[in-house]
Amino acid sequence: MNNTILKVNNLKTYFFTRRGIVKAVNGVDFELKRGECLCLVGESGCGKTVTALSILGLIDSPPGRIINGEVRYGNLDLVKCSPKQLRQIRGKEIAMIFQEAQSALNPVFTIGDQIIEQLKLHLPLEHREARDRAMILLEEMGIPTVERVMSYYPHQLSGGMKQRALIAMSLSCDPQIIIADEPTTAVDVTIKAQILDIFRELKAKRQMSLIFITHDLGAVAEIGDRAVVIYGGRDIETAPVSEIIGSPKHPYTVGLIECLPDISKTTDRLVSIPGIIPSPIELPQGCPFHPRCPKAMEICSQQEPPQTTISEGHKVNCHLYQ
Amino acid sequence: MTKRLQDIARRIGRPFYGNRRLIKYYWERTRRNKLAVFGLAFIAFLILLALIGPLLTLDPMSVNFEEKNLPPVGFTTEKSVYHIETDDFTTTEVFGTWRHPLGTEGKGRDMLAMIVSGARISLLVGLIATGIAIILGTIIGVLSAYLGGWADNVLMRFTDIMMTFPFFLLLVLIVFIFGPSLAFIVLVIGLTGWTGTARLIRSEALSLRTREFVTAAKALGASDGRIIFRHLIPNAISLIIVIATLSIPGVILAEAALSFIGLGDPTMASWGIILEAGQHSLDTSWWVAVEPGIMLFLTVLAFNFLGDGLRDAFDPKSNI
Amino acid sequence: MKQILNHDLLEIRNLEKYYPVTAGLLSQHIGDIKAVDGVSFNIKEGEVLGLVGESGCGKSTLGKTILRLEEPTSGEILYKGIDITKLDKRGLRELRREIQIIFQDPDASLDPRMTVGDSICEPLVIHNIADAKERMEKVAELMEQVGLEAGQASHYPHEFSGGQKQRIGIARALAVSPKLIIADEPVSALDVSVQAQVLNLMMDIQEEFGLAYLFIAHDLSVIKHMAHRMAVMYLGKIVELANKDEIFENPLHPYTEALLSAVSSLRAKGKKRILLHGDVPSPLNPPPGCHFHPRCHRVLPMCHQKEPQLVEISPEHFVACHLYNTTTS
Repeated sequence: MNNTILKVNNLKTYFFTRRGIVKAVNGVDFELKRGECLCLVGESGCGKTVTALSILGLIDSPPGRIINGEVRYGNLDLVKCSPKQLRQIRGKEIAMIFQEAQSALNPVFTIGDQIIEQLKLHLPLEHREARDRAMILLEEMGIPTVERVMSYYPHQLSGGMKQRALIAMSLSCDPQIIIADEPTTAVDVTIKAQILDIFRELKAKRQMSLIFITHDLGAVAEIGDRAVVIYGGRDIETAPVSEIIGSPKHPYTVGLIECLPDISKTTDRLVSIPGIIPSPIELPQGCPFHPRCPKAMEICSQQEPPQTTISEGHKVNCHLYQ
Repeated sequence: MTKRLQDIARRIGRPFYGNRRLIKYYWERTRRNKLAVFGLAFIAFLILLALIGPLLTLDPMSVNFEEKNLPPVGFTTEKSVYHIETDDFTTTEVFGTWRHPLGTEGKGRDMLAMIVSGARISLLVGLIATGIAIILGTIIGVLSAYLGGWADNVLMRFTDIMMTFPFFLLLVLIVFIFGPSLAFIVLVIGLTGWTGTARLIRSEALSLRTREFVTAAKALGASDGRIIFRHLIPNAISLIIVIATLSIPGVILAEAALSFIGLGDPTMASWGIILEAGQHSLDTSWWVAVEPGIMLFLTVLAFNFLGDGLRDAFDPKSNI
Repeated sequence: MKQILNHDLLEIRNLEKYYPVTAGLLSQHIGDIKAVDGVSFNIKEGEVLGLVGESGCGKSTLGKTILRLEEPTSGEILYKGIDITKLDKRGLRELRREIQIIFQDPDASLDPRMTVGDSICEPLVIHNIADAKERMEKVAELMEQVGLEAGQASHYPHEFSGGQKQRIGIARALAVSPKLIIADEPVSALDVSVQAQVLNLMMDIQEEFGLAYLFIAHDLSVIKHMAHRMAVMYLGKIVELANKDEIFENPLHPYTEALLSAVSSLRAKGKKRILLHGDVPSPLNPPPGCHFHPRCHRVLPMCHQKEPQLVEISPEHFVACHLYNTTTS
C-alpha cells in the first residue's frame, strides 16, 4: 500500500442541469502506484476527462459537483481540500496536460512567458533563474533552437511542438503526478510516436507517476503499465496492460479490442459493438453496458455488478464473473 | 415561373412554419426566459390594442373644449379661471371621470383613444419600416457575401456611404418640400436603416458559406441559387428574426423623436405627436406627456426583452 | 472485398493545386502553397484506393480537387476517359451523379436546419430524379440500407449521434447511385466502437454496388482493412504507390517505413521504431530536392538537390526515391 501515490474511491461527479442530472462520473475506483503509468481508457462521453478534472477540483461548480467519494493523496483527501490548498497542489504536486494543446495555451503570451509564470507561481525563483530552467525543460523535450522558441507565440508553433511545450510546462515544478488528457489524439502518427517516446523517457528518467487518459488502445499498449477501462462513468475492468489486451474479461473490453482494425490482423470484417454509447443523462439501470452486451443476463438490467478479483491485480465489474 | 417562385417562397420559411418540431424546440427554449415571455405578452397586448382598440374607444380626433385637460381617473387637479370682473382667479377642483379614463388633453381629445391609435401607428411604422430595412439589408448582405470579389467591395462601400447618410436632413428636406407625412417617414427610415442589417447578414453569410454543409451541397450539384435560398438564408433566419426584433424599438423611437421635434405627421396621433403636444404643459396636465412616454418605454423594453430571449434561444451554444 | 473489373474509372495526370500567397501593400504574389504538386494515379472500377498521409500533405485538397470543389491549377483528371477539368456547368452537374464525397466531420456536413430526410433527398431533387412520392420511398430505402429507421427521416441532425450522422452522410452520397466515392477521413471523428460499424457499412455497400473508393485516411490500420491498393502522400506528392499487401510487407520509401513503424499495434509491442526528427515542413517553403530529405534516415547526397520521380520499381509498385531510381543516380 505504501507504493500507492494516489487513490480514488467511489468518485461520483454529477452535473445538475435543466435537462436533468448528468452523471458524468458514477462510481470510479482506481489507484496509481509510484512510478507507474496508469491508463484511463474509454470512448467519448465515458467520464474519463471529468474524472481527471475532479481529482484536481477543476469542476465548474454550478452546475457540477463531486457528490461522493474521496481522492487520497498522501494525507489529504483532495475532495475535501479548500481552494487554497488545491491551488498549491495543482501544478506543483499534480500537473495536468489538457486535451487540446491549441486551447490550453494562452494565445497572447509567448511560450517562454507561460512557462516562467508557472515556475514563479510555485517556486521562489528569480526571473533569470526561471528563464534558464524553462529553456532546459524545452531542450529536454527535444525542441530545437530553444532561445527562439521561448519568444514564439503559440500560433507560431506546429501541433507537435505545442504539445511538447505543454508537457514542458507541466514538468516545470517537478510534480509527483502528471495527468495527461488525450495527448496523442489530435496529432499525426509520426508526432504521436515522438510524444509517446517523450513520456516513456519521463517514466524512465524521472520515475514519474503518470495517469494517461486516452481512447487509443495502441498508445495504451505502448506506454501503459496498468489500465482502467471506463464505461458509462464507472470503472468496469482494471488490470495490467498485457492482461487487458491478452485476456480481457469484461464484454465491453473484449468488444473494444476486437473491433479495432489492427495492423497485425488480417480479418475481412470488423467485429463491432452494436448500439451507441449511453448518454450520461440517461444511464441504463444496473450495468451501464447491458443494452449492448452480447452476454447480458437478466440480473444485468437490475443490479450494478460488484467488483470481482480475477487474479492478482485484475478486477472486473461484471455479473458473469461472480 | 410563378410556380417556381411559390416553391422557393415556400422553402425559405420552411425552417419555421410547417416544421412544428423545430418551432416547438425553440419555443421551449424561449419560454424559460421570463423577461422574454413578458415582452411577448406585452407585444401581443399591443397588437390586440392596435387591432380592436380603435373600435372600442372614442374618436381620438374629436375635439371637445368643454372637457379639456381632464386628469386620468382617480386624479384631481385644479383649474383656475380668471374672471375679468373681479380681477381674480377662482380655482375649482377637476376630477377624472370614467368617460375619459386616461384623461384628456388641451383640446379635449380623449387620451385613451389617442394612446390606442398611437399604438396602431407605432406598430405599423415599426413593422413596415423594419420590414423594408430588413429585406433590403438581407438582399444586399447575402449578395455581397455570396458574390464576393469586386461586387462585395462595391456593395459594401455603398453601404458605408449610406451609413453616414444624414437621414435626418433628408427628412427635413422632404418635409420642407412635401409637408409632413407618415408615409415619408416610414420610407425614409426604411431606406436608410438597412445598413446595420446588411453588415451583420453579410458576415453571417460569409461564415455560413464556408461551412461544410454548403460544400456538401455543392458536391451534390446544387446551383448557386439553391444554396442561397435553401441553405444560407434558412440558416440565417434566426439572426434575421433577432435583428428585426431588436430594430423595431429603434424605429418606433425614431418616429417618436421626429414627431417630438415637429417633423411628424400632425394628422396622425402617434405617441410622438402626443408627447410633443404634452411637453408644454408638464406642470399642469402632466399626463398628456407621461402616458405616451410610459407606453414608449414599455414597448421598447418589451421588444428588447423578446429580442434578447430569442437570440439566446436560437444560439445553439447557450445552455438553456 | 469484391473483385475489381479492369477498366480505369479515374485517371489523374500531373494534377497540381497551388494556392497563391500574396503579401505587401499591393498584394504581390510572393509564392505558392503547393498543396497538390504533380500527382498521378488511377482507380479502377470497383477498386478501393487508400490515400495515406499526415496533416498538411494535401490529401483532402486532392479529394476536393477531383470533384472540382477546388479548381485545379493544372493537370488532367480523366473520368471514364473524359477530361473533367474542362467540363462546363452542365457537364459538372452530370459529373456529380457519378462521383460523390463523404466528409470527415459528420456534424458539419449536414445542414442543421434541414430534416435528415430532406438532406438525403436533396440530390434527388437537384438532379430531378423521380417524382415526390418515389423520392420519399427512395429516402426510406436508403436509410434502411445504412442501418437507420426510416421513421426518423423527419428528425433533425442534432438529434442523432456522430455515427448515425455519418451514416446519413453515406445515405446522401448513395442517393444518386454514384460509381466513385471520395471518402475524406470518414471515420476519424468517430469513436472506436462506432468506427467499426461505419467501416463495415462502407465495405458492405462497396461490395453490393461495386463502388470505387478513394479512401483518404491517416490511420494505417483502417486503410489496411479497407483498401486494395495504397498511395502514400507527403507534402503534395505521392511517394509510394502499390498493392496494399505489398506496401505493408515491403515498404520501399523511407517515409513509408517510418509511418508503418509508428503505428501502434496491440500485439507487436516493443518493435523497433524509426523516429522521424522534427515536424512536417511548411508547404509554403518545402525543402529543395526531395521534400522529405531533412527528416530521412536514409538520405543520400543527391537528395538535397534533385527531386525524385515516381517510377515503377517492381510490377505495380511505384516509388519516388533516389535509393531505388538507378536510372537517375
